[in-house]
Amino acid sequence: MASQRRKRGENLVIRYLILGAWALFCLMPVLWFLSIGLRPRVEIITPQPIYWPTFSLDAWHMIWEDWPMAKYLRNSILAIFGSVLIDLVLGIPAAYSLARYQYRGRDDIAFYILSTRMMAPAIVAIPIFFLFRNAGLLDTIWALMLIYAAINLSFVTWIIRSYMLDIPKELEDAARTDGASDLRILWEIIIPAILPGIITASVIAMIFAINEFLFTLLIASTPNAYTMSVALANFTGGSDGVIYNAIALVAFLAFVPVFLVVVAIQKHLSRGLTMGAVKGG
Amino acid sequence: MARIELNGIQKRWGEVWGVRDVNIDIADEEFLVLLGPSGCGKTTTMRMIAGLEEPTEGEIVMDGEMMNDIDPRDRDVAMVFQGYALYPNMTIYENIRFPLRMRGVPRAQQDAHVRRAAGLVEMTDYLDRKPGALSGGQRQRAALARAIVREPQVFLMDEPLSNLDAKLRQAMRVQIKHIQRELRITTVYVTHDQIEAMTLADRIVIMQSGLIQQIGTPDEIYNDPANTFVANFIGSPPMNLIEGEVAGGVFTAPGVKVPGMPAAVSGKVTLGVRPEDCHVTENDINLTGEVYGVEPTGDVTYLTLQAGEKLFEIKADRTYRAPLGATENVRFDADRIYLFDGETGERLR
Repeated sequence: MASQRRKRGENLVIRYLILGAWALFCLMPVLWFLSIGLRPRVEIITPQPIYWPTFSLDAWHMIWEDWPMAKYLRNSILAIFGSVLIDLVLGIPAAYSLARYQYRGRDDIAFYILSTRMMAPAIVAIPIFFLFRNAGLLDTIWALMLIYAAINLSFVTWIIRSYMLDIPKELEDAARTDGASDLRILWEIIIPAILPGIITASVIAMIFAINEFLFTLLIASTPNAYTMSVALANFTGGSDGVIYNAIALVAFLAFVPVFLVVVAIQKHLSRGLTMGAVKGG
Repeated sequence: MARIELNGIQKRWGEVWGVRDVNIDIADEEFLVLLGPSGCGKTTTMRMIAGLEEPTEGEIVMDGEMMNDIDPRDRDVAMVFQGYALYPNMTIYENIRFPLRMRGVPRAQQDAHVRRAAGLVEMTDYLDRKPGALSGGQRQRAALARAIVREPQVFLMDEPLSNLDAKLRQAMRVQIKHIQRELRITTVYVTHDQIEAMTLADRIVIMQSGLIQQIGTPDEIYNDPANTFVANFIGSPPMNLIEGEVAGGVFTAPGVKVPGMPAAVSGKVTLGVRPEDCHVTENDINLTGEVYGVEPTGDVTYLTLQAGEKLFEIKADRTYRAPLGATENVRFDADRIYLFDGETGERLR
């Protein structure tokens, strides 16, 4: 008994050690960013290793006081949430149609939608620039919302569709005989049932959007529409050279909101990621 | 109240036939059971009555009104599904209230309706639970309450008991029949379970391969089967069907000899006799075979005899016992013998 109990205790310690090491490994880049971001600039570019780093808020003051970082952050958040909203408003009905209605060419259409993800974004960069310029949308958050939404719409539709396919058809038949219209069925039966899928798709779309760089750079030509990802690039050029500690700190700031969102909805996310794949999971 | 006519109903998906030709006249307040093996078209027939499938040919008429192009939500039918189909995100109360809300029943009246329906199926204590927190039997009762809550013209039930264990199924069967009688609502019930069909139905429709084999009361179906399919499908254990020849008024098959056949019958014939109409005896012997199996169940003993290649089921007395391999003689009740055409399987009368 006693030896068994000790063995179980040892197992537990080993388990924690392994998991702890893995967590540390995953968090290493983040901690490294933080450590760079909170040190004076001179200490970062010195070739000698430093064992006792100096703590400094230089970069922190710099990004908030010398740069309109609050505005960039606001731009990022507005553009990202707006784009996810557009994706859901368009993607949910599209997914429902692709999952449930019978019509000619349905599977082809589903494939065309997905195929928009298959080309390199740079190919359409110039046409899109002209398109937005002619529409007078350059340098606005609206343009960013639209472009992020367009980039993510295909897989948001596909993820949500795969969840809808897992819902038993009986449920809709029951609602239909109970007297519900198609829109009612979508709103009251389908959407609540696939909420984990909607959350999963939204989070993935957010992560893609926050990391988007190419189109943001193209469309945002002044700080009016700069986002965090483009702001990062500001620290690499100019007369000041590459400002590593500011880059690291901004990157960390861009990471934190996503991290918090994922932690908050972790339960739905893990359930969502498996439920789409395993029937009845 | 509603009378339903199905006139020449066909359902085809491309080359695949679901229902070939169905004509049924369902009386007001009738309890009609569609019975058949899986894939026989019974569920498709029901779904067409609900409006969830459109017939390829034929007419669905309710109370004289043509229903073919009417949406399910505009037909006054309620359906109970095999998998219960309760809305997982709603409580039982909200589930039962859903049809009332959809059909615009005034808010003030909804609560009373929900509580009455829940009371009828004894689910009042579970109204604030979600379907996930209920057992199979409770879910089935909740689904039943959702169907009866707005007192529709027609109930449709698609194998509602097939996911329940035997004991619960028996209890629910009684409850369903009781509720149907009390509410006096025309009911169409689909099942592949002959016991459910026999116990619930006013009339049974037996289907196979999209065609109706026979329509009749449980008594007629059991005692007067139209063909070998019906004879074999109803009854447990099923009727013994013996392929043989009639010559000079005597039916013969390996181990079987039955005299007194009608004069008009000769040639290849299938003789049917139910296990309970066979008696172990030493006089007027019709069948001689070897004991293949003896299964005492308490109130009756099932005896299986082998004659030639064929096995025969006999319902023997509950005290009956015999060693395997022993030779046993059996007499058939002469007035309980059925004759079927050897080729078509149709009954010879």
